[in-house]
Amino acid sequence: MSVLVAVPDSPEGLAALAAGVTEAELLGTDLIVMNLALKPLDTSSIPNGTHVKVLERAGKSDRDPAEAVLDEIKEHDISRLVIGIKRRTPVGKAVLGSVSQRLLLDSPVPVIAVKLNNQKKRRVEMP
Amino acid sequence: METHTKPGQSHLPPLTRGPHSKRLGLVAVVATFGGLLFGYDTGVINGALEPMKDDLGLTSATEGFVVSILIFGAAIGALIGGRLADKYGRRSNILMLACIFAFGTIGCVLSPTWEVLAFFRFILGLAVGGASATVPVYLAEVSPVETRGSMVTRNEVMIVSGQFAAFVINAIIFNIWGEHDGVWRWMLLVAVLPAFALFFGMLKMPESPRWLTSQDRNEEALGVLKQIRSDERAEAEMDEVHRLAEEEKQAQTGGWADLAVPWIRRLVIIGIGLGVFQQFTGINSIMYYGSQLLEDAGFSAKAAIIANTANGLFSVLGITVGLLLMNKVNRRTMLLVGFGLTTFFHLLVGLSAKFIPDGDIKPYFILLFVILFVFCMQATIGPLVWLLLAEIFPLKIRSFAMGVCVFCLWSANAVVAFGFPPMVAAVGIASSFFVFAALGVLAWIFIYTMVPETRGVSLEEFEEEMRDAHS
Repeated sequence: MSVLVAVPDSPEGLAALAAGVTEAELLGTDLIVMNLALKPLDTSSIPNGTHVKVLERAGKSDRDPAEAVLDEIKEHDISRLVIGIKRRTPVGKAVLGSVSQRLLLDSPVPVIAVKLNNQKKRRVEMP
Repeated sequence: METHTKPGQSHLPPLTRGPHSKRLGLVAVVATFGGLLFGYDTGVINGALEPMKDDLGLTSATEGFVVSILIFGAAIGALIGGRLADKYGRRSNILMLACIFAFGTIGCVLSPTWEVLAFFRFILGLAVGGASATVPVYLAEVSPVETRGSMVTRNEVMIVSGQFAAFVINAIIFNIWGEHDGVWRWMLLVAVLPAFALFFGMLKMPESPRWLTSQDRNEEALGVLKQIRSDERAEAEMDEVHRLAEEEKQAQTGGWADLAVPWIRRLVIIGIGLGVFQQFTGINSIMYYGSQLLEDAGFSAKAAIIANTANGLFSVLGITVGLLLMNKVNRRTMLLVGFGLTTFFHLLVGLSAKFIPDGDIKPYFILLFVILFVFCMQATIGPLVWLLLAEIFPLKIRSFAMGVCVFCLWSANAVVAFGFPPMVAAVGIASSFFVFAALGVLAWIFIYTMVPETRGVSLEEFEEEMRDAHS
């Protein structure tokens, strides 16, 4: 059994990676990291003792990040999926789609969704 | 870009001369007929348009439509052509394109009305776009790493040479048989000759070894390499071919969803801006409507079509100078100087058209400034935008990002081709060039604020810089 964490090229991705490490420790399993970014993964935040395997997106079949993650769940023995989420604008979602939403709805295994810790609060201005 | 992918080159045996190098030379000559056709078919309208207008009764709107529909076709053809070349092979795709070139040309030549003509020009456009996406790839894939850059460059020179050839042949035909209504049909018909040359030439040419490898047809790939390299070199190069085929697979990873990442989105916006502003210099308003423009400026029809050949000649000279300068000057500097000069000459064309009184010298001033504009554009912005598009994207999104940018470039080209005749009809030459000058100022600001320097920087360093600046 392994924990799979999906790490996109964003601050939420790093938060998800940290949560994935904790979750794998908690369950006493391996960690599989799916690097959704188009650059190499920065693994410096993963503690030395963790058993970790990094998967990369490669080729046309991995063009859609959500499909790429769901395929890996089928291929490996995964017990949890960890993802990072953030608030999106309706326009952004309509144009680019929401990977998180599709993973939450389509994942066959339980999903842990982590948010950034209030780093960017929504600005509410009182009249 | 090739300069970033050189490991492996050092332990390849050196290139040698022999039957294989002659064969490779022949492959390059035949394949660049694709570039020549691309140029000829886009350029032939310049000169054919005036007699065509009288014969088919074109207005300035239908004129723009007939010219630009080829470019819309090319935008679509570039998208489809790339996919077909991946699926069925480069050679088969070029053979098919040669047939479409010939079919489209004959259709245009026989068109009874402008509607039919527009339909066949759309078909021709598909072939032009397909050639733009396939021929450089084929050339890059058959050439050895040492000469890869210059082979692909040769195709760019062939495109403008094709336009120049079309201008010259149009000028000759028009000055001999200009009195006949259907003279434009003969101008168009000449384009079937290179189409036949491309078709029968390609029948004897081999498939791309890299494409064969990507289809797991390694034996055949080695067979092809042995035709165009020494035996020793062919064996040694198989590893490199494998590595490049794998790299190409990697290049197709990223897609639409990756535009959510700010630094990647910014790079794609930069690429689109470069492509669109390259076309908004109006270079192709000269390449398609040069003869007409010069006639409007005051030349007789016969003199205008002859004077227009200077546009073609200086386009070829410009691109030759540009390719020599390209890796010696910083990219940003070259773009900023380029847009500065083209905008300056736009202003001079506009001012000449507005303030020099009609008479003998006016058309010569306009011709001079138009030629200088064409030369400066082709010596800087023209080839440089293509180079930047090939080198600014990270490997994993290169295929998608290039596709988007090239599509936008073709679309901007089509907008200029469609809009130019009605614009000149409505506001005149002077104001039309002031519009190009204004767009040039916008382009200059865009480049100054957005476009990074990539010369002498490795792709990895460049990506890191972009990530740090925009995340």
